[in-house]
Amino acid sequence: MPAETNRREFLKRAGLLAVAVPGAAAALDACAAVATSAKASTIRVGWAIEPDTMNPLTTYSTQAVEVLQLVYDNLIQYDLQLKPEPGLATSWSYSPDGTSITYKLRSAKWHDGRPFSSADAKFTFDLIKTKQVSQYAQWVTDLTAAEAPDPATLVLRFSRPQAFNPGLAVPIIPQHIWQSMSASQIQRFPNSAPVGTGPYKFVNWKKGQSIEIARNDGWWGTRPAAQKVTWILFQNEDVMTQSLRTGALDICPEIPPTIWDGLAGAQNIKAVSMQSFSFHHIGINVSENPNSGGNPLLKDRTIRLALSYAVDRKQLVDIALAGHGLPGSVILPAGFGEWHLDIPPGKQFNANPAKARALLDAAGYTLKNGSTVRTSKDGKPLSFRLIAIQSTSVDVAAAQLFRDACAKVGIELTLTTLDANSLGSTVYNAKAPNWDIFVWGWDSGVYDPDYMLGVPLCNQIGSNNDVYYCDRHYDQLYNEQATVIDHARRLALVREAQQYYYDAAAYIIMWYQAKLQGYRTDTWTGWTPVTGGMILNFTRDNYLKVRPV
Amino acid sequence: MSRLRYLARKTVWLAVTLYFVITFNFVLFHVLPGNPVRLLARSGHLTPQAVADITRVYGLNHPPPVQYVIYLKDLLHGQLGISYTYREPVSQLLGQYLGNTIVLLTAATVLTIVLGVLIGVVVANRRGTGWDSATVTTSVIGWSLPTFWTGLILTFLLGVWLHAFPIFGMQTPNAVYTSGLQRLEDIGAHLFLPTLTLVIVNIAQFVLVARASVIEVLAEDFMVTATAKGLLPRRILWRHAVRNALLPVVTASALLISLVVGGAIEVETVFSWPGMGLLVYNSVLNRDYPVIEAAFLVFAVVVLLVNFASDLLYQVLDPRVREA
Repeated sequence: MPAETNRREFLKRAGLLAVAVPGAAAALDACAAVATSAKASTIRVGWAIEPDTMNPLTTYSTQAVEVLQLVYDNLIQYDLQLKPEPGLATSWSYSPDGTSITYKLRSAKWHDGRPFSSADAKFTFDLIKTKQVSQYAQWVTDLTAAEAPDPATLVLRFSRPQAFNPGLAVPIIPQHIWQSMSASQIQRFPNSAPVGTGPYKFVNWKKGQSIEIARNDGWWGTRPAAQKVTWILFQNEDVMTQSLRTGALDICPEIPPTIWDGLAGAQNIKAVSMQSFSFHHIGINVSENPNSGGNPLLKDRTIRLALSYAVDRKQLVDIALAGHGLPGSVILPAGFGEWHLDIPPGKQFNANPAKARALLDAAGYTLKNGSTVRTSKDGKPLSFRLIAIQSTSVDVAAAQLFRDACAKVGIELTLTTLDANSLGSTVYNAKAPNWDIFVWGWDSGVYDPDYMLGVPLCNQIGSNNDVYYCDRHYDQLYNEQATVIDHARRLALVREAQQYYYDAAAYIIMWYQAKLQGYRTDTWTGWTPVTGGMILNFTRDNYLKVRPV
Repeated sequence: MSRLRYLARKTVWLAVTLYFVITFNFVLFHVLPGNPVRLLARSGHLTPQAVADITRVYGLNHPPPVQYVIYLKDLLHGQLGISYTYREPVSQLLGQYLGNTIVLLTAATVLTIVLGVLIGVVVANRRGTGWDSATVTTSVIGWSLPTFWTGLILTFLLGVWLHAFPIFGMQTPNAVYTSGLQRLEDIGAHLFLPTLTLVIVNIAQFVLVARASVIEVLAEDFMVTATAKGLLPRRILWRHAVRNALLPVVTASALLISLVVGGAIEVETVFSWPGMGLLVYNSVLNRDYPVIEAAFLVFAVVVLLVNFASDLLYQVLDPRVREA
């Protein structure tokens, strides 16, 4: 039957087509790969977390800041040694009493062609101060006035000296775009076409896929080599790292430890491990709130010290973190260099179960008739709840090791795992914190000791203070260091504060994890390792300085 | 007349079901522990005033019953609210992700159903042969494979090893297309692996259902009658047997499509396909209530409509349903 032959013919042809179309597309892909490897023009970054918004004021995500720091300029930037370098300000100076900073500004243009002036900078600081819309509000709490005496000068006046220069943190936004918005309009503003003065112009954000920016040839600085930068979102870190191997990516800023280990010896790939500005910790509920549901025994420092002595931080790093980090001690990670207080191993509350037992025995927490759990004098067992985030596998592994170590000194911990949001709302339930011990971590929001030292403040209860620690002397140390401009004096205060908080033993800092990144060596050259990472860090200079191979 | 009454009854049911779905969604996600503002505020030092402002912008300062009334009112006005995470209108967000899901799942679903049924019918006609048992075994093995694992294996074999197909995303990032056709080709290439994965793990149910159903029909008396009338075997199979065997296939298809709008989260994860499954998963983790509620509303509407459509299809395919 003719109809039958036709159908067969059709099927045959369709079959050929089905083979041919993807084949052609694959060939196209191959051409594209050849074209880019011949002379790279785009930096392709692979990551697994999507930014929240392109609104520089309302973002809370490191990934968003990574993109926006190339679109907006700060007054002052960080260079590849994380030292301040000129941004929109060519120079800056403090008044003798340290309460005002004068910035000399360069001439620059917004991406829409309008000229930038000191009025924009003044507007930015005023907006953040008066509308309190942004996390940058923390840097302007003491700001009394922002003045623009002429188009190339900005003066910030404060009620007391500022150890941290806010010019390093705040992106400058154009007055002509933002001035008509109310605080609530700013909260809802997606800023889907950001206009800044930075080295790159925003191109597009395909939600769930990629973000693209293109070089701003009118930028004031040295023209970067990359015409474009693209951040590509992966839902699976295995596939992300495979894509680095196949050449579809140039750099991955966050690679999980075991996958990173697998990159060793891969062709044309360099895997780099750097120190970070992060730590993971075990937090102990020391709340004095009468509604606290935390076990009151934990308010006894002896028990907290015993918990701290019970666990071996080196073992935590080796097992839970596959060796990719340093054992922790004080609240400022080792990545902070001289700011970090180095406590000699012999003086650390670490890896000494015998000492833990001795402390507990001396304080009257004893093991009675064959029990494995110690009890207090009035018969309360040393038995606590421990919570960790299910999806953070390193934390769960660490929590298990911690639990087992504590069992050996007669303290019982019951481990429960939760999702991040549930753990957060349990821990941060400031009205009635009903938990005993958790495992979590911190990442410094700025390259300055201030952020992390600020976590355990009394006034951060209800905000960042996750263990409800409150001590007037600590607050005083913190406030003093925040207002000292003399480096040596501030250094001494910062170190004193770390020791003081360490001695309180409300935090058991487990480790300072390494930043594990990897890049291709056959597309871009000149990636400089920096503490905190080549990219996804406080400096944007690696994007600006790499050259095509 | 009775048909109109039937339609009216169905529509009322549709509305009532929808209302319950909406309410259930609201209650379900608001009793979850967790607070979206707290999650935002964790990332930086926020002043209490800023936290209060954010809470007010998202209407979270009202007690839940008031939030519920506001939610219903906004829905009636066609407003789905603002995403807590992305801080942009949910309708925009949903539009992008839903479109991506539809592209992926239309390809996969159509292929699964059509191929599955064709194979099922062909092997039913040759039941008992080596072809039959080989096909049934292969498809059952495919059905038993974990989706995630299958996707990764295909990625390594066809993507990394053979370099034949792109392994992530919907299109080549930064690609500059000279024509619409080129763009379609690019999307087609990106579609290949996720579609193949979905077909491999889902096709068995259609092969098996179609096969069983056709075999059952082939044993009926009217088949013998048709043969006795002297009809061509091919015509008997495709016109008489298959048509009567399609009812279970329609049911299975309706179920598959209903499942499929939820997004094929495993495939989306492996291939970084920006679809509904991922959006919903991430929104649950972020307690992004407006997005979750809107997404579930979409799912509910689709499930209800598909069921409605399959009811109507029954009537077309089987006169007995029409008379009942």
